[in-house]
Amino acid sequence: MSLLRLRPLCAGSFLLLLIGLSPVPARGDGHGPAFAYSTATLGKGDTSFETAMMWREGSVMFGPRVTYGLRPNLQISFSAPFHLTHGEHPTGRFTAMMPGTPEAEALVGWRFYHATPGISTRNEATLYAGGSATTQHLPRIDAPPLRRQPAMYVALAAGRVARTYDIWAGAGYQRYGDWNSQVSDHQSNTFFSSIAFGWRPPFLNKPYPKPDVRVFWETTGEDVGLATRDRTPLGSGGVTGGHTHDTAPSFPLLPLAGTELLRNSGGRAIFTGPSFLCTYKSLALQGGVLFAAYDQPNGDQTHEELRAVVGITYYILGRRK
Amino acid sequence: MRFRANIRRVAMLAALFFIVEPLHAEYLKIELRVYGLDCGLCARGVAASVQRLAGVKSVDVNLKTGILEIVLEPSNTFKMSDLRKRIRENGFRSLEAEVTAVGVFNGSSKFEVVGSGESYDVRRPAVKSTGPVELTFSVH
Repeated sequence: MSLLRLRPLCAGSFLLLLIGLSPVPARGDGHGPAFAYSTATLGKGDTSFETAMMWREGSVMFGPRVTYGLRPNLQISFSAPFHLTHGEHPTGRFTAMMPGTPEAEALVGWRFYHATPGISTRNEATLYAGGSATTQHLPRIDAPPLRRQPAMYVALAAGRVARTYDIWAGAGYQRYGDWNSQVSDHQSNTFFSSIAFGWRPPFLNKPYPKPDVRVFWETTGEDVGLATRDRTPLGSGGVTGGHTHDTAPSFPLLPLAGTELLRNSGGRAIFTGPSFLCTYKSLALQGGVLFAAYDQPNGDQTHEELRAVVGITYYILGRRK
Repeated sequence: MRFRANIRRVAMLAALFFIVEPLHAEYLKIELRVYGLDCGLCARGVAASVQRLAGVKSVDVNLKTGILEIVLEPSNTFKMSDLRKRIRENGFRSLEAEVTAVGVFNGSSKFEVVGSGESYDVRRPAVKSTGPVELTFSVH
C-alpha cells in the first residue's frame, strides 16, 4: 500500500530494481518493443500470459493480457488493465497493445504480409482491430466521472526484424462510442503512433537456447482528443452531483440537449526512451522508460515527465499435436 | 476340430493385425533450413512444436544459420510433409533440407523412404543395391 503512495517515478524505479535483482529467472512480455507497435504474432495454438505494471504521472496501472494464436498469422488477445491510482493527465493508450484507461479489450492481430527474405530476417505487416469497454470510472479534476462506454481500436504496424537490427513503425486510432444512443459521454479518442528500433548487441547475440536479450529505442506520439459530456437535463439519469448511473433509467430520457467539450481533457505528446526484452525458455521480461520530448495537455491537466512499464510473460509454445 | 478352428481364427486375426499396422518410415536425421527465425522465442516455439511430431528424438536450432537439426527415433512414422506444415504453422518458411534416410530405389533416381510414402529424385549411388539403403541427400 505504501508503495502505491510513492510518487510513480519512485515506485517504478523501485519495482524495476526489485525485479532486476530477483533471483527468479525473469522473463519478458512480447516479441517486440515495450510501448511501440510490432508485428509478430503467436504461432498456431501458442498462448502467452502477460502481466505488466505501468506508471505515468500520478497513475499506476496493472495490465494482465492473454494472447492465443488462432492461425499462423492470426492471433487474438484479451487485456484488462486497471488503475491502482489515478492521475490527472490526458487519457489515451498507454502502449500500442494496452489501453491507457481501465478497459477490457479484445484485439485481433492479423499479420497479413509476411516475407522471409533471408535467414533470421522477416518483413511483415500486421493489422490490429478490436473493441473494448471501460471498466472503472476515472475521477476527473473538473467534474464527476464520465459514464462507462465502449470503444473500437484499429491499428497498423509494419517492420523488419532480423538477428541484429529490428525496426517497426505503426499507428492506430481508438474511438469511443456509447452504450446508450441517448447518453453520449465520450472519453478522448486517441491517435497513437510509434517507431521503434531494436538492437541485439554482439555480446548479447548468444546461440539458442541461451537467454536472448534485445534493447530498443522507442518513440511514441499521441494526439488525444477532447472528451465530451452528455448535457442530459437534471433528473434524466445522467451524471449529476458526482453520482453515476450506469444502468438505463426506468423513465424515458429527454431528448439530448447536446454535449459539452471538456477542456481539461486531451492533449498532444511525444515520448521517447529505451526499453529491453529478455527471453529465456518460456519466459520473457520486458521493461522500458519513455521521457517526454513534447507534452502539451489541454487545460489544467498534469504534464507527464515519463512513463515506465515492466512486464513478465509466460509462453506456452508448441503444445499442439 | 475346435482347436483347429481357433488356430485359424488366431492366424486370421494376426494376419489382419499385420495388414493394418502402419508401415514405419525410416528418416534418420534431417537438417532443414528455416527462414525468419530471429529470436529465442521463435526458436523455442518451432523446436517445441516439431518435438511433438511422432518419431522425433531431438531438435536443435541454430539461429545463426537457420538450421533445424532433427534426429529421429528408429522405426518412426515421420513425414517431411508434416515437418514443413509444422514450420508453416509457426509462421516461418522452410527451404532446403539435408536428409539422411533409409529407402529403396524405384527406377533410376526415385528414392522412396521406407514406409513413409514420400519419394525424392536423387542420384543413385554407384554401388547398386537391390534392398533398402541408407542415403544422405539434399531436398529443395
